[in-house]
Amino acid sequence: MVKFLKPNKAVIVLQGRYAGRKAVIVRSFDDGTRDRAYGHCLVAGIKKYPSKVIRKDSAKKTAKKSRVKCFVKLVNYRHLMPTRYTLDVDLKDIVTADCLQSKDKRVTASKETKKRFEERFKTGKNRWFFTKLRF
Amino acid sequence: MVAAKKTKKTHESINNRLALVMKSGKYTLGYKTVLKSLRNSKGKLIIIANNCPPLRKSEIEYYAMLAKVGVHHYNGNNVDLGTACGKYYRVCCLSISDPGDSDIIKSIPGEQ
Repeated sequence: MVKFLKPNKAVIVLQGRYAGRKAVIVRSFDDGTRDRAYGHCLVAGIKKYPSKVIRKDSAKKTAKKSRVKCFVKLVNYRHLMPTRYTLDVDLKDIVTADCLQSKDKRVTASKETKKRFEERFKTGKNRWFFTKLRF
Repeated sequence: MVAAKKTKKTHESINNRLALVMKSGKYTLGYKTVLKSLRNSKGKLIIIANNCPPLRKSEIEYYAMLAKVGVHHYNGNNVDLGTACGKYYRVCCLSISDPGDSDIIKSIPGEQ
């Protein structure tokens, strides 16, 4: 009765190259569009999770270990597993529907989300989102 | 013993209510459509048979928890649930989107 596939929801991608990766819904298209006649959403997810950082690490090593690689994708609702977690990162202005049209737009969008995800990871919040799902 | 008698009576009443929903309300049968109805927030009550595979059962319960929709674990397997729906096939899970004349949504989650 409550819609839960809303922006800022953390989801797990189930199918495709990014299966098993965590992502956050940026924009949802419940009734689909003319090209995709099914419910789908624009997600920004983590392609490569940051490694575990320990106290012993030097500043250079922490910086290297905290790197996150991101992806932006349109995914069918059927290929997502929603979770009870949310991720409040403002991605609406960088990740838009038309940023998937050309390769360089896609790359700039991924780079921007990478920056925002890395900032969020460094603050230590949303720890669940940045840990790899073990399966 | 008292519990057994109570479950028999409520079991029949669930069947009656389900029959009324089949006649007058809107419902969907089957796992794929149940998830679909939960995603687009059309489902109001989910009924799961008792021999539903545990992974599938937990998945439906998780979706229902996110959607704040009640789940009823039917006291019978998918064969019985199919019969209760008046169908000649097995039904493992079903979703009621509009109860019609029935009061199944008000009474069944309230009991549990």
